[in-house]
Amino acid sequence: MTTLYVSLAGALGAVVRFLVEYAVRRHHPTRRPWATVGANALGCAIAGWVAYQLVSPVDATARAVILTGFCGGLTTFSSAFAIPAILQREHHWGYAAALITSTPLLCAAGFALGAGLAHP
Amino acid sequence: MRSTISLSPRQMALAVALVAGGGAVGTLARDLALRLQSAATPSLPNSSTYVSSNVATFVRVAHPSWSSHVPWVLLGINFLGVYAAVVLLRGILRHHDPNDPMRLLLVTGLLGGFTSYSSLFVSLGEIWHLSVPASLGVAGGAVASGLLAAWLGLRTMGPRR
Repeated sequence: MTTLYVSLAGALGAVVRFLVEYAVRRHHPTRRPWATVGANALGCAIAGWVAYQLVSPVDATARAVILTGFCGGLTTFSSAFAIPAILQREHHWGYAAALITSTPLLCAAGFALGAGLAHP
Repeated sequence: MRSTISLSPRQMALAVALVAGGGAVGTLARDLALRLQSAATPSLPNSSTYVSSNVATFVRVAHPSWSSHVPWVLLGINFLGVYAAVVLLRGILRHHDPNDPMRLLLVTGLLGGFTSYSSLFVSLGEIWHLSVPASLGVAGGAVASGLLAAWLGLRTMGPRR
């Protein structure tokens, strides 16, 4: 059953990421995917908190559903590198480089913040 | 191709269904693949030795070797996901805007659910408690593997587009 819940939570995370991207794209029509960077940082922050908060063996299912499922669906590694690759090929070099470097740094900051809140 | 910035309620319902369906399948595939590795090396919090509420302490006691925390399967998943996304976005999806149903299903949903940045950082956090240089090295390796996968994807699709 945990597998099913993890899968459904992954669907929910992906939908949240899509809605964040859609909301930003709608109000600021742009090809610059900062909403994806934000979704990744948010997912890492939640993951940092859960990884250091839900640590009891009785939390194992909730931990898997939120970490592997929701946070895994909310974050994306594929778009984080594929979109900059496409932009680079369209000669947006500086912007591609900014995305590639800012995403892991913001994810690390988010993860550290979440972990710090859970386990000061 | 058509450029749809705003979606009608009906298009939005379809978009959410496609992203959810792709995300569910992608997450399921990642979950099953990750179990192959966790079966070999029991990780948090399934181990019977897990008694402390302190993750750092548990990591040091239960798996003192940082190399056992390197998420090889996830790194492979992320590599494949980046490669597939570049091939799709430079190939059959190259003229499709971000709200295109096929792109929502395959890139936003399936590959977005399959790959994960957050699980990478959970592993990096575990490695951090054992060796800070090792965690920075693995983080650098993960970024390098993403760049390599993207470059291979661009090479596969060639300069023609």
